[in-house]
Amino acid sequence: MNTISSRTTAPGMHTLRPHLHLDRLGSVIAGLMGLALFASPFVTYRANRIVSGEGRMLFDALPPAGALITIAVVLGVALCAVLAHRPLVRLAAASLGLCVIFPAVGFSAGFVTPAGNGFARVSPAIGFWLLALAFALLAADALTRLRLGPWGRLVALSIAAGALTLLLLSGAWGDLSLMKEYANRADSFWREARQHLWLAFGSMLAACLVGLPLGLASHRVPALRAALLQGLSIVQTIPSIALFGILIAPLGFLAANVPLAAALGIRGIGAAPAFIALFLYSLLPVVANTMAGLCQVPADVIEAARGMGMSRRQRLVQIELPLALPVILAGIRIVLVQNLGLATIAALIGGGGFGTFVFQGIGQTAIDLVLLGAIPTVALSFAAAIILDAVIDLTRRGAHDRD
Amino acid sequence: MIEIEHLSKRFGESIVVDDVSFTVGEGEIAVVVGTSGAGKSTLLRMINRLVVPDAGRVLIDGQDTATIPEDELRHRIGYVIQGYGLFPHRTVAENIATVPRLLGWDRRRIAARVEELLDLFQLDPGEFAQKFPHQLSGGQQQRVGVARALAAKPALLLMDEPFGALDPVIRGKAQDDLLAIQRRLGTTIVLVTHDMNEAFHLGSRIAVMDQARLVQYAKPADLLTHPAEAFVEQLVGTAERPFRLLSLASVQDAMEPGSAEGDPITVSATLREALAQLIWRGRSALPVADAAGAPIGRISVDGILKHGRSLA
Repeated sequence: MNTISSRTTAPGMHTLRPHLHLDRLGSVIAGLMGLALFASPFVTYRANRIVSGEGRMLFDALPPAGALITIAVVLGVALCAVLAHRPLVRLAAASLGLCVIFPAVGFSAGFVTPAGNGFARVSPAIGFWLLALAFALLAADALTRLRLGPWGRLVALSIAAGALTLLLLSGAWGDLSLMKEYANRADSFWREARQHLWLAFGSMLAACLVGLPLGLASHRVPALRAALLQGLSIVQTIPSIALFGILIAPLGFLAANVPLAAALGIRGIGAAPAFIALFLYSLLPVVANTMAGLCQVPADVIEAARGMGMSRRQRLVQIELPLALPVILAGIRIVLVQNLGLATIAALIGGGGFGTFVFQGIGQTAIDLVLLGAIPTVALSFAAAIILDAVIDLTRRGAHDRD
Repeated sequence: MIEIEHLSKRFGESIVVDDVSFTVGEGEIAVVVGTSGAGKSTLLRMINRLVVPDAGRVLIDGQDTATIPEDELRHRIGYVIQGYGLFPHRTVAENIATVPRLLGWDRRRIAARVEELLDLFQLDPGEFAQKFPHQLSGGQQQRVGVARALAAKPALLLMDEPFGALDPVIRGKAQDDLLAIQRRLGTTIVLVTHDMNEAFHLGSRIAVMDQARLVQYAKPADLLTHPAEAFVEQLVGTAERPFRLLSLASVQDAMEPGSAEGDPITVSATLREALAQLIWRGRSALPVADAAGAPIGRISVDGILKHGRSLA
């Protein structure tokens, strides 16, 4: 960490110190890689999709040449993690590692599966996941040290997404159990994906449409503030499954007695209660952050705006909202990340979404099916967080130097 | 000309401004002083109707301000507050352009006006126009605040403790700059402060407020020689009185014919500055020079004391 100070040391024996300096986080990451390479199975082989499997170490999972190349690359990256100080070098090393092990695990699936066996399943095992974690940590640390601006972070995210898309489209992972689960459900996968996004984004949009005016109103009318925030906080404390349950009765009643509601697809179970529950959970962050954002606009700024003859509307549009925007967007970021995760639970009441695969997988003890639902959910939340953080930074005009 | 007629305001039970009347002439600086809570700021904020008076009225050049729509009235009156209230998300140029933009000036006229004001306030447009407020020092922020208030060429400028956030060194310079700009533009100013030095330095007239009432409204010298109430004497400070009087008179007023040894004092300096020089340099008299540096007479300790006694 203190690489800079070592440059200023006096000549003599001290000049050797920079060469001996080990990166602390890098050492932990290298240790992780060692553990993954030499003490953990790289893939798991199962005779069919639900029996328990046996681990295969890297040398059994790849042809000798492939295993050697993989080991050489991992060791090289580990060396970089420990010794290299320049963030760009560390980032390049981490990316190289990821670019080797991701195709390798796909190739391994084809190598381990006996020819012509349609039932055998190969999944990434703990060794692979540890390596992926180690490289990801190294990359994340390097990106943090690079102090990328908002645009830089968006570009980095696009590159990562592009690489992942390329990997999936290339068919390199076609023999992995995860992709076999996908291949069996390609149609329903995209249908549930659309449903998941609709639940998460739709409820967020609805919460913005309702929450922004509510936040504005409670900023203007202090009497409204306490009641509204307390009410919404109580909603927030209800566990999601309980909230779905609470909504089943009134929506079921509505569907049974109001033909229009039934025609719109509103029923006691399904997407409607899930959407409404997500919407209710979303209200508190949107309302609270809109209010907090408006409240933190400095009083002398408002006073000056009034004194210069800005109308209420001009003050709101030109001064208050632009200054509150980063805080409001932070609320929307909370909502989006929360909704992308919570939408998984909707599957429990027939609401669809990626949760469908998670709960089917749990029911069938088919862990790869669980992953088929869980991985896209995590990836979406991760991407949403990065994108919104970047947007928030871009809207903080004048708050700090952006160069 | 600003005519304030019988202005009153109460907030709940407490009366904040009680039947205050005074007139500020064209191009004058009226300074409102008083203890905190005396109602100074409320009085100021009733002039641009940020506070609506309960009774009384304000006339600007004979026009009752209550007959002008509020926003339009405020477009015509510059307003500077202690924290300046610069818009943090807008650049210096955008901040200064606020009122011209509200008035719908065309782009070229706004740009020219912004540049003109930055020059006037000794802020290099190339360096400062695109900066954000947080990148400026306190003194620069203050200048931008005043420049913004003057952008649409208001005939009247209201200032509420405009130098309160500055350290003493910068404050003196900022006050001199304001005086110079005011003389150049001829803007009428109503300024609120609790700093008596500032009041005597800037004011062509001083309004003393105590517990919501206007106790005295007079020229600075009259305030010293003919205080209306014990409160005014107390506020002015009896020990300070002779020195304040000397600071209101210039070397011109006590200059004698003849010459003296030493570095000359300029004729525009105040008698207080001249006396300070005489004491510090251990002389009983010093030569006086005009603005060009030519000797035109002498100033002596005895002469200053004599003049001081005649003022009191």
